[in-house]
Amino acid sequence: MKAITANIGYFFKETFTILKLNKLSNILSLLSITLAFFLLSLVVSTWLISTEMVEVLQQEAEINVFLSEEADDSSRYEMAESFLEIEGIQASRVVTEAEALERMENILGEESEVLTYFDENPFESFVEVKVDFEQVETVKESVSAYEDVRYVRDHQEVLDQIRNISALQRFLGTLFIVAAGTATLVIISHIIRQGIYHNRQQINTLLLLGAPNFFVALPFVLSGLVLTLAGGLVASLLTRFTVGLGYAQLVTPIPFIPLPPQELLVRNTTALILGLSIFLGLSGSIMGIRSSRKEESL
Amino acid sequence: MITAKNLSLQYPDGTIALNEINLHIKAGELVYITGPSGSGKTSLIKLLMGIEKPTAGQLEVLSHSMNRIDVKNRMFLRQYMGPVFQELKLINGRTVLDNVILGMRFLPIPKQQWKTLATDALEKVKLSHKILSYAENLSWGEKQRVAIARAIVRRPSLIIADEPTGNLDRKNAINILELLNSLRQENTSVIITTHATHLIDSKLVDQFIQIAAGQLEAKSMEEF
Repeated sequence: MKAITANIGYFFKETFTILKLNKLSNILSLLSITLAFFLLSLVVSTWLISTEMVEVLQQEAEINVFLSEEADDSSRYEMAESFLEIEGIQASRVVTEAEALERMENILGEESEVLTYFDENPFESFVEVKVDFEQVETVKESVSAYEDVRYVRDHQEVLDQIRNISALQRFLGTLFIVAAGTATLVIISHIIRQGIYHNRQQINTLLLLGAPNFFVALPFVLSGLVLTLAGGLVASLLTRFTVGLGYAQLVTPIPFIPLPPQELLVRNTTALILGLSIFLGLSGSIMGIRSSRKEESL
Repeated sequence: MITAKNLSLQYPDGTIALNEINLHIKAGELVYITGPSGSGKTSLIKLLMGIEKPTAGQLEVLSHSMNRIDVKNRMFLRQYMGPVFQELKLINGRTVLDNVILGMRFLPIPKQQWKTLATDALEKVKLSHKILSYAENLSWGEKQRVAIARAIVRRPSLIIADEPTGNLDRKNAINILELLNSLRQENTSVIITTHATHLIDSKLVDQFIQIAAGQLEAKSMEEF
């Protein structure tokens, strides 16, 4: 341990000497690692977004009950009251035509001008029913049995589609982690092997002087770590920029999509990428050193 | 300190480098080994440093049996040695000072002393004016002196110097041999392989050993 703390400066100096020795090869490796991490972070970001969407939609599971035209206001309120007795219903209230219009205006924001082109309010009154997500189907059946109920709208189809997309993205994300991880491991281990080959005389001298293995190996481990961390950092910066761009494109035209907070998304993705880059950098370097040991008696 | 009994080394291609040699070197002794090229001098050094293992006989160095030594103990043993390699093995791209300090970095010598010890060692080999020069910019003779400084700065129990005066002028060669001899005062054993027997001060030498065709022969100074 003493030998490590006393030589920290030396280890970093050696690390950069090793990296400088194969400049072109290291730059190309850095680009490949950055690209792999960037693609991975994009897949992970979309996976996190769709997961958030599913969660939000599940929490806000509701059905909208539209009554027949014959039903007057008092029967609407009575019915909303009676829905509360059905198991699985948490809340029930009447949304008037005016409130429905106001909601849409809020959702559309600056674009709500489009609603002024209608001569009269295009929305109709309905009963908004908050439901336990697990009981949507049974609630829907019970509500539909009421005489004045004309139509029950739920978000099950949308939710199912988003859930399918989320599952696909989870699969792709896992696949990408495995692919990017394997590619990074191969690249780093190859780079380390190359570094060891180019420095074999120095390594041999150190071993003849009695240097412990960790002393000889540490600069190589650090050089692998520096490469993956640099790749991870650049990929994280690119992700921050891309997510920012994506949010700007999504939030304005489709404001009702329940996106996770941008900062949280970027922070989580960055943490994952940097964590992975440290893990892969260390593992790749150790793999490279181990395979070189067999050939170079390191 | 070093004991060899019927020590032999045969390479995988069948070449017999050393054949049943016997040797005993005590702490603080100065030993010269001579012999023509290919006689087995370097093979003996390889055995002493644990680069090769004996194929027959026994070899003990600083209380370690070289017949059974494992990687960890070999590393530990080498930390007590000050090797001067024939091919010098300096690190290019590093200064003279860095090269000398490199020999101490993993030894139990406090970091605060590294620079002072290295500067002192370079002064002893008359190279203090080249302290910040890069290894690759030195003449072969200067490199040889850096290699010697790197060996002595480690305060080893055993110095193994393979042709340490090979490319030095007479004055520098004598200076280096005197320097290596002075290390005996600290109970360091010094083994020097050399062709330059005319530079040796016979009064200071404990053993002269000649190797020829893998056989070892102790001789008096007059016989060289």
